[in-house]
Amino acid sequence: MSGVLVVLEHRNGAWARMSWEAIAAAGQLAQICGGNVYTAALGGELGALSAEAASHGGAKLHTLEHAQLAQYTPEGYTLALEELIRKHQPAWVVFAHTYRTRDFAPRLATRFQQVLIADVISLRGEDGAPVFVRQMMQGKLNADYRKTGDGPGFVSVQAGAFREEVSSSTAAIEPFAVTLDAGQIRTKPGEPFRESAQTVDLGAASLIVSVGRGIKEQDNIPVVQELADALGAELAASRPICDNGWLPMERQVGSSGQTVAPKLYLAVGISGAIQHLVGMKGSKSIVAINKDENAPIFEVADYGIVGDLFEIVPALTEAVRKAKGA
Amino acid sequence: MKIVVAIKQVPVRDTNVRIDASGKWIDEADLEFEINEPDAYALEEALQLKDEHGGEVIALCAGPEHAGSMIREALAKGADRAIHIECDDLGSLDTLGVAQRLAAAVKAENPDLILTGLQSDDLGLGQTGVVMAELLGIPHSTIIMHVAVDGAAIKVKRELEDGWFQQIEMPLPALLTIQSGIHRLRYATLMGIKKAKTKEVKKLTPAELGAAPAAAITVERIYAPEKKKQTQILKGSPQETAAQLVEKLKYEVRVI
Amino acid sequence: MSVPIHLPAPAAIALALAVPEYAEPAHFSAVSMAVLALLIVVSAVLFWSRFGKVVKVLRQAKPDADFSLHPVGKRVWDFFREVICQSKVIQERPIPGLAHAFVFWGFLAFALVSLNHFATGFNLGFLSSHGVFGEFYFYFAAVFALMVTVGITWLFIRRFFLRPKWLGAKLSYESGVIAGLIFLLMATYLAGFFTPPGSAAALALWWVHALTILVFLPLIPHTKHLHLMLAPFTIFLSRGEFSRIPPLVGDEDFGLVTGRDITKLAALQAYSCVECGRCTEHCPANNTGKELNPKQIVLGLRGFLNDLGPGSEEPVVDGKHETLTSIFQCTTCGACEYQCPVGIEHVPLIVGMRRGTVNTGVWEDEYGGKLFNTLERNGNALGMSAMERDKFIQKEELPIFDGTQEYCLWLGCMGAYDPQGREIVASFAKVMRHMDASFGVLKKERCTGDPVRRLGNDLLFQTLAEQNIENIQKQNVKKIVTICPHCVRTMAKDWQEFGGVTAEIEHHSEFMARHQHLLPQTGSDETIVYHDPCYLGRYRGSYEEAREVLARSGKVVNPPRSHERSFCCGAGGGLVFLGEEQGDRVSHTRARELTATGAKIVGAACPFCNTMFRDALAATSDAPPQLLDIAQIAARSIEGEGATPDA
Repeated sequence: MSGVLVVLEHRNGAWARMSWEAIAAAGQLAQICGGNVYTAALGGELGALSAEAASHGGAKLHTLEHAQLAQYTPEGYTLALEELIRKHQPAWVVFAHTYRTRDFAPRLATRFQQVLIADVISLRGEDGAPVFVRQMMQGKLNADYRKTGDGPGFVSVQAGAFREEVSSSTAAIEPFAVTLDAGQIRTKPGEPFRESAQTVDLGAASLIVSVGRGIKEQDNIPVVQELADALGAELAASRPICDNGWLPMERQVGSSGQTVAPKLYLAVGISGAIQHLVGMKGSKSIVAINKDENAPIFEVADYGIVGDLFEIVPALTEAVRKAKGA
Repeated sequence: MKIVVAIKQVPVRDTNVRIDASGKWIDEADLEFEINEPDAYALEEALQLKDEHGGEVIALCAGPEHAGSMIREALAKGADRAIHIECDDLGSLDTLGVAQRLAAAVKAENPDLILTGLQSDDLGLGQTGVVMAELLGIPHSTIIMHVAVDGAAIKVKRELEDGWFQQIEMPLPALLTIQSGIHRLRYATLMGIKKAKTKEVKKLTPAELGAAPAAAITVERIYAPEKKKQTQILKGSPQETAAQLVEKLKYEVRVI
Repeated sequence: MSVPIHLPAPAAIALALAVPEYAEPAHFSAVSMAVLALLIVVSAVLFWSRFGKVVKVLRQAKPDADFSLHPVGKRVWDFFREVICQSKVIQERPIPGLAHAFVFWGFLAFALVSLNHFATGFNLGFLSSHGVFGEFYFYFAAVFALMVTVGITWLFIRRFFLRPKWLGAKLSYESGVIAGLIFLLMATYLAGFFTPPGSAAALALWWVHALTILVFLPLIPHTKHLHLMLAPFTIFLSRGEFSRIPPLVGDEDFGLVTGRDITKLAALQAYSCVECGRCTEHCPANNTGKELNPKQIVLGLRGFLNDLGPGSEEPVVDGKHETLTSIFQCTTCGACEYQCPVGIEHVPLIVGMRRGTVNTGVWEDEYGGKLFNTLERNGNALGMSAMERDKFIQKEELPIFDGTQEYCLWLGCMGAYDPQGREIVASFAKVMRHMDASFGVLKKERCTGDPVRRLGNDLLFQTLAEQNIENIQKQNVKKIVTICPHCVRTMAKDWQEFGGVTAEIEHHSEFMARHQHLLPQTGSDETIVYHDPCYLGRYRGSYEEAREVLARSGKVVNPPRSHERSFCCGAGGGLVFLGEEQGDRVSHTRARELTATGAKIVGAACPFCNTMFRDALAATSDAPPQLLDIAQIAARSIEGEGATPDA
């Protein structure tokens, strides 16, 4: 029982960046409890993906290739990894906390009478054993978790919690033959698809740039539209803008419009009347640009810029374009 | 169609939580509780499936006595009966322990479908449903947006990251964890609450459901995170503030 | 009648000869009496064939469980004012109102004449133009006959030639017939003074007059003139206070769901409607292009009772007689109810139907469902976290109520979470401190339940009311003051259904008015237009307090519709939470009126009005007046800035 196994994840033919963060976390874990970091990649035929994964470090890359693993299924992944873990007996198994991990890792852990310590934001050693920190109560509290009992431990790490490291070494690729048959897999996955975006669905948008009365006239709307385009965000508005017909009603955020909760809500020239606030206060991150430093929007904002939107927004658009181009 | 919905009561969102004397859990005195939000959507999905296909919806909950109010509300909204595993020791159990209790209670019902929310608002581990499926030996899928029943099988729409989705088919019985926000939630009505008075709530004790295994993981300590800064006002020229904001968007908000 | 003296001589002589007294036919034969008796029976049967059905409906309808005649004094007074003096009829529409009053008073005066008329037909006449009382009374009635003639002629001209739109697009020919009959009655009576007693002409007049009455009688229950019979009862038997929402009784009462839930009072009111359209004329929803028409709500209920009856198990809100769209467009401003001359209580009726559809889960609405779930979860209608309220309290350094302070300052959802509402609270706290009033705020508050009360969600309302009542009683609160008229109404009246609180409850306008001597008199002549909030004015009868407070800081002016006739801001009845309005916005209509007064400042006294006008004033004017709550205006005067407002 030693070493840390990292289960890597690829989607649509590319590795998820979070997998490299998981390797970084596994590195920290290995320092505490000893042993090497190993990685595992699953798929039908991995091809060039293997070499790329190997270049991100670890002592060994286990490649698990099987026709039943060509498409992700929770049963396939659970069975294949169960076999690998039983064979190699790592002390810890680390995942990036992705939707896929959430789908199968608890099932896998259960097979070892273990519980996944999910969505870990940091870890440290205490008395030679790792302590994992994760959030509770929607981030209002942190909790330190420890593994008790025997058997391998299972951990998934939050996106962005560990910084990816550039590896100086390349892992040795070691194929691992898994025994799987179609009868063991009861879920039949379809091809991933995107919804055709016919109507604006602000509720589903992950980035929103929203414009308010501060924009002054309809002719100025393109100023914020460009910022939204640069960010890849949906454009939304407060009620007065839609009332004036400058943007269609379906783009209205607030008590008489839509309620949104994007990752980023960038409010431009919006003072923050209650009718607006109730529609967007659930956003993960709120940025406000307003010339009035006493505007209520700053009370709910995470980041604020006080100033003239006609100077700030174009500068921001430019900076975003530059950052994305780089 | 017989559907079991596993629901949990959690402290009301956005309340000021305090840490209790043990330092391992929150002080529950003075706290108000509500149904875990994703579970509310799981219940709604179950009720809509019942509206469409007929059958029975059974609300299942493990929790202390005060969870009774949530169970009554589920009955008021249209669940046909409920099972309440009355226990005060959830804090000492890990996910596997809780899931084992729930699975033991479900087994006796032999349902076609088990629904629950994709995660809880308090612990947020997001595993109870999946672990139950494993314990019951049935297929599962997570973060489900839509459920279509086709005889002895179902076809579900699963959310993937970045705006992608996937259709998945599986035979019944199965377990699904439901995404928040997929429906308009029905509200509890006066008529519903009056009808709920006559509905059965079966009470079970942990002892009836078998001994819980030793916890595989434990919470050592809970504490307030380092105070996040309040609103950070970025200062400087338009170009400077823009550059600072892009940094934040890249490394803190992580949207670039 | 004495002989007129200024007439030309021949005419004067002719009159003196012909009109000294009211002419009666000399004697009626047995055949004539038999015919008359038969006609009376026919008329009575025709009358009862309809009126009997109405009576049956009223008897079958469910009793009003909470009805009590107490206080009788108020009922008698209301009856005297509204029925005898016709106050509501005249008040709103003075000219047609007076015309109507003439007809009404004429009818009262004619009761004795008519009775005598038919008695005479059986040779039992008891009034004689030769007797002192008879002579007096015939002349007395003649004066009224002239008034009725003038009145009914004017009403006829108004209805058929001027045609105000509130009477409906369709001409009511039955009204024409009725007017004709009334005219004929008066004409035949007056002509009696010009006819020789005992002559054939007198006999003919007598028969025409009698037949007119006998035709008129059965028409009453068949037309909206049914109000002649019912309205006095409707007014006397009202629910006792403005817009009173009756409690639900027993386990099967969910409000107005089916015909079985229509109570006697609701049925009586439905049959009393005279279709004058005053309610519709004043309805903010109807005035801004919405489907809701309060008159139609009443007539819809009458139609339901006629078609299906009070025993029906069919839903009242069936899309035909009553529609979901209509009942959920009501702001519960109460303008309709306030105006109604026959005592119809529209708001309890509309809220009753909302209860029926919400308590049974029939009403599905994205915003409504969200509001209910939000209130269930957060205890405030805005869905904010209670922590936000704590932060605000800390920031403003508002003391926590601990039983030692005189007043409990109730923040309300708007005062605790809305940025504008918070400014109002902060200003009012400043005023209270200036007045040396000791106060504290509760650690925890939940929504009083106003929006869900008006939207008909009794489960949620009961939950919120009981939690608040328990909390307030526990804290030993003696006096509550709040900036929100909706909170005041709900706490003072609606909570009574669940026991209520022992504390006195008042609005901050009332508090400030009582202590107005402590406010500086700035002497400013800055004009302030005051908007009467529905829940402070019509619901509470508090009109002058806010004006008195404002008068210390400027010159108070009124918009065209003010006091009892104030036009709603559009927020009430839970509508502020229900998404975009159909048609024009009520708030815009009102904002234009307020701006048009040319006042510098709009004085508001309700945080909901305030939030509605904030957008509306800016949207309807390039240079709108400044919008301030009365507490903000008072606080500014205290700071000595009254004369130089900062824009």
